[in-house]
Amino acid sequence: MKKMNLIYSLLFLFGSVYLHSKDDTPFESTYSPENSDLILIKGGRLLTANEENPFFGDILISKNKIKEIGLNLDAPPNVRTINAEGKWVTPGIIDIHSHMGVYPAPSLNSSSDGNEATSPTTAHVWAEHSVWTQDPQMPLALKGGITTFHVLPGSANLIGGRGVTLKNVWSRTVQGMKFPNAPYTLKMACGENPKRVYGRRNSEPSTRMGNVAGYRKAWIKAQAYLNRQMEYEAKSDEAKEMGYAPTRDLELETLAGVLKGEILIQNHCYRGEEMAVMLDIAKEFNYKVTTFHHAIEAYKVADILAKKGVCAAMWADWWGFKHEAFDMVWENAAIVDQAINGKGCAIIHSDSSVGIQRLNQEAAKALAAGNRVGLDITKERAIKWITLNPAKALGIDKWVGSIEKGKMADLVIWDGDPFSIYTKTEKVFIDGLLKYDSLDSDLPKPTDFELGIIRPEEDRI
Amino acid sequence: MKNLIPILSFMILFISSNLNSEEFLLKNATVFTGSSESKLEKIDVLISNGVISRMGKGIKGLGAKELDLEGKLITPGLISPMSQLGLIEIELEPRTRNDSSSIYSAGFSIASTFNPQSTLIPYNLTGGITLTLSSPSTNGLFSGLSSAFSTSGDLKESLVKKDIALIATISSGDDSKAAKLLLLEDFLNFARNRNSEKEVSLLPGNQEEGNISSRDLLAIKKVTKKEIPLIVRTDKASDILSLIDLAERNDINLIIAGASEGWMVAKEIADSDTPIILTPIDNIPSSFDSLGSRLDNASRLHKQGVKLIISSHETHNSYLSRQGAGIAVSYGLPWEEALRALTINITESFGLEGIGALREGYRADIVIWSGDPLELTTFVEGVFIGGKKMPVKNRSMKLRDRYLGG
Repeated sequence: MKKMNLIYSLLFLFGSVYLHSKDDTPFESTYSPENSDLILIKGGRLLTANEENPFFGDILISKNKIKEIGLNLDAPPNVRTINAEGKWVTPGIIDIHSHMGVYPAPSLNSSSDGNEATSPTTAHVWAEHSVWTQDPQMPLALKGGITTFHVLPGSANLIGGRGVTLKNVWSRTVQGMKFPNAPYTLKMACGENPKRVYGRRNSEPSTRMGNVAGYRKAWIKAQAYLNRQMEYEAKSDEAKEMGYAPTRDLELETLAGVLKGEILIQNHCYRGEEMAVMLDIAKEFNYKVTTFHHAIEAYKVADILAKKGVCAAMWADWWGFKHEAFDMVWENAAIVDQAINGKGCAIIHSDSSVGIQRLNQEAAKALAAGNRVGLDITKERAIKWITLNPAKALGIDKWVGSIEKGKMADLVIWDGDPFSIYTKTEKVFIDGLLKYDSLDSDLPKPTDFELGIIRPEEDRI
Repeated sequence: MKNLIPILSFMILFISSNLNSEEFLLKNATVFTGSSESKLEKIDVLISNGVISRMGKGIKGLGAKELDLEGKLITPGLISPMSQLGLIEIELEPRTRNDSSSIYSAGFSIASTFNPQSTLIPYNLTGGITLTLSSPSTNGLFSGLSSAFSTSGDLKESLVKKDIALIATISSGDDSKAAKLLLLEDFLNFARNRNSEKEVSLLPGNQEEGNISSRDLLAIKKVTKKEIPLIVRTDKASDILSLIDLAERNDINLIIAGASEGWMVAKEIADSDTPIILTPIDNIPSSFDSLGSRLDNASRLHKQGVKLIISSHETHNSYLSRQGAGIAVSYGLPWEEALRALTINITESFGLEGIGALREGYRADIVIWSGDPLELTTFVEGVFIGGKKMPVKNRSMKLRDRYLGG
């Protein structure tokens, strides 16, 4: 009897531990910037991602946040003033599609950790557990103005695992880079990649219809799991103590998080008809697709996306590496942006450690293409493609993505028009702290990898 | 006989362009000639018989079709120095690719399979490319021979010059780079010392095992006789120095492609007159061979006097060599030199005479720009290839038009 009591109490303990651990956030962000100076950026041309008209003005940074924006702001005592006359100022650039850290440079077998290509659905893996924080691609991206980036697992799988949103800061731990309170995301992939990877192994999926069956099977399991959980949660405390809590399942926990609206779907999907099919699957299982990534054919379904409030993350001009990337048009982002009288959500993404260093240039090409065919899009609007729109699609627009009072002081000062090839970043601030300065050879801080890697007396970057 | 070849190919050019007798007079152009130090303003260009017949101020062209450019910039047509244009449609679909051979090595000439009607050809013409030095993809030590084609789309007259360079690669992989350098030198010695290709097998074999066919031997022999340059893809500073030594010892014309760490040995490269094909946009230390990659590689090389050739990092967007060139300029390369790296430096390095500059007597490969060709917001407004006015249209534009406003 005593023994039984012990077992019961252990079970209760286990149950409560289980419930308790659900409330905790594992791998919680430990990012906490030191206090920033009081900084006044004076007289720059601001692309705020918030205004539609050209705007020249000042920005006051205090305690890591944007404190004020306006014309001729008074300089408070002890302020550090930066003259930005003739310069342009934008919000920190955000890349919604990066594999920095999970496919680091140099490319080595031992740290190529982006694709868990061992099963078509691996919702249980988390990209953050693969991140090598000392990837030298990160400071290069910082020099390009990237202050936040979203790291995804690769696209070998139908459901590839959780993505993570990181601040582009040097840190010993991935937790030290995690964007505080950013929602989790889930990577899904349409089309050629999953069917190629698994079809070659003579296993499902080997066709696009196999892909779709795979997604639906996963969501059916997730629904059942969520129902079991909700049934359990609905029980009285007494009933809970008498029964077993449903066993945790890492894969289904993530999928259920999507069904509960807590985890945002980031869906790699090139072709228009596949996007429409994915939207119907989302309807069948009552979840939302936040963004289609690599959406080469978004222009074909731009109105459907705009109506559903789904963003499309695109390249300016990549094409032809596979059949689903064959129908690229330079005007893709502009057409998506202008769908249904400007209700579209266009994002320019990189998926590349070369592209991430110049999302401004990629946006410039896409903007110019749109303007040339008569789509009246301003620079004030196009800057959103690499700032506010990716922030919205990552669920972090409360904190970043535009130059607005109260937001994190993630800012870039450019030495000219960021839509020109000849323009470079001059200063990059993350939470009001200067992380890159073209005049300071000590910035950006080199990664551990870069210390003395070529010659012991100097660092690589 | 050797000297006759360029003359003959020149004559072929003239004969073919004579069939197209339409004359054009471009009025009021701003001209970057490729040879001038800066841009020339208010210049008229008379195009007849496929070439630039006159260039200067106040030119009259009786019967020529006049186009007033109102000050717009014209440059020589841009050249894709090393890509698979015309050889590849979709990278991941092997049956759309003809860019590598497991049968031949050095002797693999792609000239006979170049497809002037590839979708990539008019697309890149739209981006400003009028000539492509199409090349086999990396495949072991020797990839094969590259050939020059115009992007006119013409099924019969696209070939400009066949087999103009031999391409090799020295990179880390299964075997030591040292072994690859030794094998390269062994092949050069072997080819040089054979008087007749009959001494070797007609049929090809595995190049890594030292097997070679008569066709492969002939290609290498052309390098040893300095008829064509040897392009070697390599990145590491130490390997670049080894190759410069090897080229000197073997008295061959060397061009190095990649050269991520070229800036570390810029003086040695300059002293050896080795042109460099580089993709300035790529500054990723993607392997231990390219740890020294940096965006100012181009300008540092130029300052030491190295002749630069700028390439795109991808075949489909070969014309994005313009973006790379612009980045090189923003990191210190003079604008004029960047333009030369996209045009005349290429034809000079590959012995393509009469192409790549706007000069009287030169082939009329001309691009009319809406602005600075290196700027991201600039588009191609007009293209002439061999004096013929080309449509600036591609499949992608038709797709756009179908869905725009729909």
